[in-house]
This record gives sequence, C-alpha cells and structure tokens, in this order.
Amino acid sequence: MNANDADAPLVERVKLGDVKAFEMLVVKYQRRIERLIGRMVRDVDLVPDIAQETFVRAYRAIPQFRGESAFYTWLYRIAVNTAKKALVELKRDPTVSESALAAREDDDETSRVENELSDGETPDAVLASKQVAAAVNAAIEALSEDLRQAITLREIEGLSYEEIADLMNCPIGTVRSRIFRAREAIALRLRPLLDTREGSRW
Amino acid sequence: MSAGPENDSTLREHLSALVDGELKPGDAARACAAWRDDASCRATWHTYHLIGDALRSDDLASDGQHDAQFLKALRERLAREPVVLAPAPQGVESAPMRAVAVGGRRWGWRAPSAVAAGFVMVAGALVATREPERPAAVALAPTPVAKAAPSAAAEPILVATNPAAAPVGMVDGKFIRDARLDRYLAAHKQFAGSSALGVPSAFLRSATSDASNR
Repeated sequence: MNANDADAPLVERVKLGDVKAFEMLVVKYQRRIERLIGRMVRDVDLVPDIAQETFVRAYRAIPQFRGESAFYTWLYRIAVNTAKKALVELKRDPTVSESALAAREDDDETSRVENELSDGETPDAVLASKQVAAAVNAAIEALSEDLRQAITLREIEGLSYEEIADLMNCPIGTVRSRIFRAREAIALRLRPLLDTREGSRW
Repeated sequence: MSAGPENDSTLREHLSALVDGELKPGDAARACAAWRDDASCRATWHTYHLIGDALRSDDLASDGQHDAQFLKALRERLAREPVVLAPAPQGVESAPMRAVAVGGRRWGWRAPSAVAAGFVMVAGALVATREPERPAAVALAPTPVAKAAPSAAAEPILVATNPAAAPVGMVDGKFIRDARLDRYLAAHKQFAGSSALGVPSAFLRSATSDASNR
C-alpha cells in the first residue's frame, strides 16, 4: 500500500469487507469522477449512470488493487475505461440515447449549454452549486491567517500534516487542529445552503 | 486520542483527519462506524470533502442534494454485490469481526430460505408418499386446502401446508391449478413421466440407498 495515499486506511477497510468505508470513498470522489466523465460524455443524463458503473466496477476490483498507484489514480482509470465503453455502446446502439449522440456531433456552444442543463443539472442546482462555491471562498477569506494557511496547504497544495508542520513551524497536532477548525468554520457557513436539517438526507 | 470521549467534536476532528488520511487505523475504524451509524457524521464527511473540492475548483461545488441521491442509488447497487474480502493486513483492530458481521447480515436471508426450501421438499415427498395414485405433477406442489370446499376437508393427502405458496386449490373436488405451476410442469415433463416419481416410495428408497453407498 502506498504510504502517501490518504485513502489507504479506508481502502484497507473496504478490503476487509467494510462496504461503508467504500461509501465514504464514493462521497469523496463522486464529484470529481462525474466531472471527468462529463468531459468525455456530453449527455449529462448519462453521466451519473456511468459514474455509478465506475464505482461498482471499482468495488468489484478492489481486492486486486495493490496500492502501487494512489487509489484515485486507479479509480480515474476505471472511470475513463467505463466512459469509453459506454461511448462505444452508444455508437453501436443509438436508440439508447439519441440526445447523447446529437450532443457529440453538434459542437455548437448554445446547444451544448442546453444539454448541460437537462435533468441531472437543473438551473436551480447550478445556481445552488455557485452559491456553495461562493460561500466557501467567502468563508476562507474570513478565517484567521493560521487557519487559512493550514487548510490551503492541505487542500490546494496537497501537503501532508508533517510537511505543513514543518512549513508553519508548529507541532503536527496543531496542524490537525487548525485544519479541523478551518473546516468547522467553513461548514458552519455552508450549512444553511446545504440542508435545512443537518444530515436529514444522508 | 484513542481513549478519548466519543463526543461530537472529537469525532468530527477524527473525520477531518481521516479526510486527509492522517488518522490511526484504530480511530479510522471508529470513524467508519460513526459514518455507518450517524447521519450527521455522513453529512459532515460530505461537507468536509465538498469544501476541499470547492477550494480546488468552483465547478466541483455542489448543493449536496445530487451527491446524496447518487450515494443512495449506488447503495442499492452495492447491496447486490458480494462482500469484498481481500487478505487482511496486520494491525487493523477488530476488522475481521466486522467483516463477519457484515457477511452475516448480508447473507442472513439464506438460512430461512434454505429452511423453507427444505420444508417444501419434505412436504412434497410426504404428499407424494401418501397419495401414490395422484398424478406426480400435482403432488409436487404442497398446498393449503381451500377452506370453502367441503369435500376438501375429507382429503387426507394435503397434510403439509405452506402459507407462502398456494398454486393449487380444491373447489368442489376439482383441482384449480395455478398457471405458473402448469408452465413449470410443462418445462419439466421428463420428471412427470419418469417411473421414479410415478412410484414415489421407490424414489425415496433410492435416495437413501445412494447415501449408504458412500
């Protein structure tokens, strides 16, 4: 197992039969995987289906995952292969989704936008996502310098706690606590946008 | 840390560290259990990751609703998959027991259905033994007697009743058979015509002698 892979603890648990650990990985990567597939398959209605298929395949294959690459790299490959296979099937059987093929052939910007706004991605959802992004950025600005630096080094630069501790010249425990407090402060601002009652839909 | 109280703040700090892969295996097990048992933990886990995604790129932001629906749909598909079990590494506490518990729950339905299947077989054999001249086709399906039929009360053959399945009823001495049963029998004609089933006791005996030969 790759010691640098942040997912190693969860992947180990999945291998021991803990399907809930796999769900945690799904929640972590589902947005990135859907974006990746969305860039390959223009029909937004198909994107969640292909993403689901990706995760099911990953779940089946996880006993063979040896950790030679990071888990996300491995998952990324599965997503690309799954999307390619879906595109081949789509060409062979156009009745599956004519809108998907039309979208691929027609690169006109306006029709693409219309397509992106169908079903899976309603204008409401797009607006809500923009609000979330704005709220996160506003919350980051409102953080104290220590907290902002810690969360930025972790989430944007991808540094480990140890590296951040070196950079910020503080113990690892402090790094961990700063990142946690930064997340809590941002989550507090997000909560009204995400749900009326916390956890009700999870 | 590992002996710390499981209050919400500690748990969320653990989740935060797990987001970054900086949590000890023992604490990771507890965090996974919290995810399993507590909806607010699931929401927190999602929010922490959403924050990271939104920081890295605006187009990864989400209102969360789609994400929750995605997981719900995937859960239904994963429930149909066999539980993953790979060779266990050392040092992950109590994980094998979890795996067994998960497996036990997932396949728990098998025991009752095996019992039910066994019951049906025994009932079928009973019916077949008691009523040799009854067509084997009918005897194969153990069924409750239709209470409305007076003549049915005198019928000695239908001793075993299975409330779950009622493909055959008896009304005024006539058999009313389920169309599904007919289709099943049509598809298995070779058994209906076989001498073994025609003389059920012979069939039973041959089974026992098979066992003693081993």
